[in-house]
Amino acid sequence: MPASDEDRILRFWTPILLRSILVAASIILVLGLVLSASYTPDYYVGRYYAVRAGHLHARESFARMFVGAAQGQPHSVMTIGLFVLTLVPLARVAFCFLLFLRERDYAYVGFTAYVLAGLVLGVMLGKIG
Amino acid sequence: MLEIVSELLLLAVASGFIGAMSGLGGGVFIVPALVIIAHMPMKIAVGASLISVVATSAGASVAFVRDGWTNLKVAMVLECATVTGAVTGAYLAGIVPTVVLELLFAAMMLQSAYFNVRKQGDDIIEHGDELARRLELAGDFPGDDGKNVHYEVVNVYGGGLLMVVAGLMSGLLGIGSGALKVMAMDYFMHIPLKVSSATSNFMLGVTAGAGALVFLARGDVATSIAAPVALGVTAGALGGSRLLPHANVSSLRNVFTVILILIALEMGWRALTRM
Repeated sequence: MPASDEDRILRFWTPILLRSILVAASIILVLGLVLSASYTPDYYVGRYYAVRAGHLHARESFARMFVGAAQGQPHSVMTIGLFVLTLVPLARVAFCFLLFLRERDYAYVGFTAYVLAGLVLGVMLGKIG
Repeated sequence: MLEIVSELLLLAVASGFIGAMSGLGGGVFIVPALVIIAHMPMKIAVGASLISVVATSAGASVAFVRDGWTNLKVAMVLECATVTGAVTGAYLAGIVPTVVLELLFAAMMLQSAYFNVRKQGDDIIEHGDELARRLELAGDFPGDDGKNVHYEVVNVYGGGLLMVVAGLMSGLLGIGSGALKVMAMDYFMHIPLKVSSATSNFMLGVTAGAGALVFLARGDVATSIAAPVALGVTAGALGGSRLLPHANVSSLRNVFTVILILIALEMGWRALTRM
C-alpha cells in the first residue's frame, strides 16, 4: 500500500479519533462517579459492598441503559461510558478496514472484517450467555 | 464514598504505573490488586481489568503507531486469532470456576516472569515462508545507523495458534497477555523484539476490547468499580510511560520478576486453599 495513505490515516486521523473517544469516555465516567455521589445517600458505598459480596446489577437492555442514563442513574451513565471506551479498538479496526478496502487489498479486507465481526459477536454472545 | 474511590484510584494508578514501567501492562497488576487488597471477587476484577486494558492501550498505542515499529499487517492477521480466543475466553469466564481462573492466573504470572528475565535479542531472518510471503508480512524498521533493517516472517500458523491461547487467557483473566503475544511473534515467527512489542501493544486494545464487550453486554462489569479503576490505570500508565525513558529498566526488571512470582504464589495459594 502507498506509504502516504497509510501515514495519513494512521499518523493523523487515528490518533485524533482515538484521543477524542478516550476523552469523551473519561468525561462520561467522571460524570457517572459524580452522579453516584449525589444520587442517593450511600448509593455508591452500597453498590461497592454488594459487588464485593458478589452481587451485580442485573443485565440491562441497551434501551433500558439509555432510559436510565437520561434519568441520571449513575450505573447506566457509567455503562455508556464503558461502552464508548470499547469504541476505541472498534474504531481502529474500522479505520484499517477502510484503508485496506481503498487499497483493494481484499485478503486484508477479509481479515479486518473477521475481527470486526468478532467484536460484534462478542456483544451478542454477552447478551445471550 | 470518597475513601473507597480514593483507595481504588490509588490501586489503579499504582498498577497502571508498574504495568507501563515493566512493559507488562496494567492488567497483570490490577487483577491481583483488586482480588488480594480490595477483596473483590475474581470475575469483578477481570471485568474491570479488561476495561482498563482497553483504556490504557487507547492512550499508549497512539505513540507506538507513530514510531514506525508497528507491523500493521502482522497485527491484523494475528488479531483474527486473538479476537477468536478472547471472545471464547470471556464467554467461558462466566462458566469456569474461580479456582481454575486463579490457577491459570498464577501460571500466566510465571510465564510473564520467565519472559521478563529471558527476553531474547533480535534474530532477523532473510527468507520468509510461503504463507508469510503471500500475506506480505515482511517489514522494515529503523536501525541504529539510520538505515532501514528488513526482516522476513515465518511460521504464521504456529504464531497464530499461540495467539489464540493469548486471546483466551486475556478473555478469561482480564490481562492483555502481552508477554505471550511478544513471545509468539519473537520466538515463533522470528519478528524482531521491538517490532513484536510495538505490534503486541497495537493489538492489545482489540483483544481486550473483544473480551470487554462480552463482559459489558453480559452485565458482568461492576461499573462502580470499573469506572475509577479504568481512569486510574490509564493515568498511572501515562505517568509510567513518561517516566520510562529516564528509568534504569534493567535494574527494575528483577524487582518486577519478584513481584510477578509473589503474585503467582499468592494466587496459586488461594486456589489451593479453595480446593
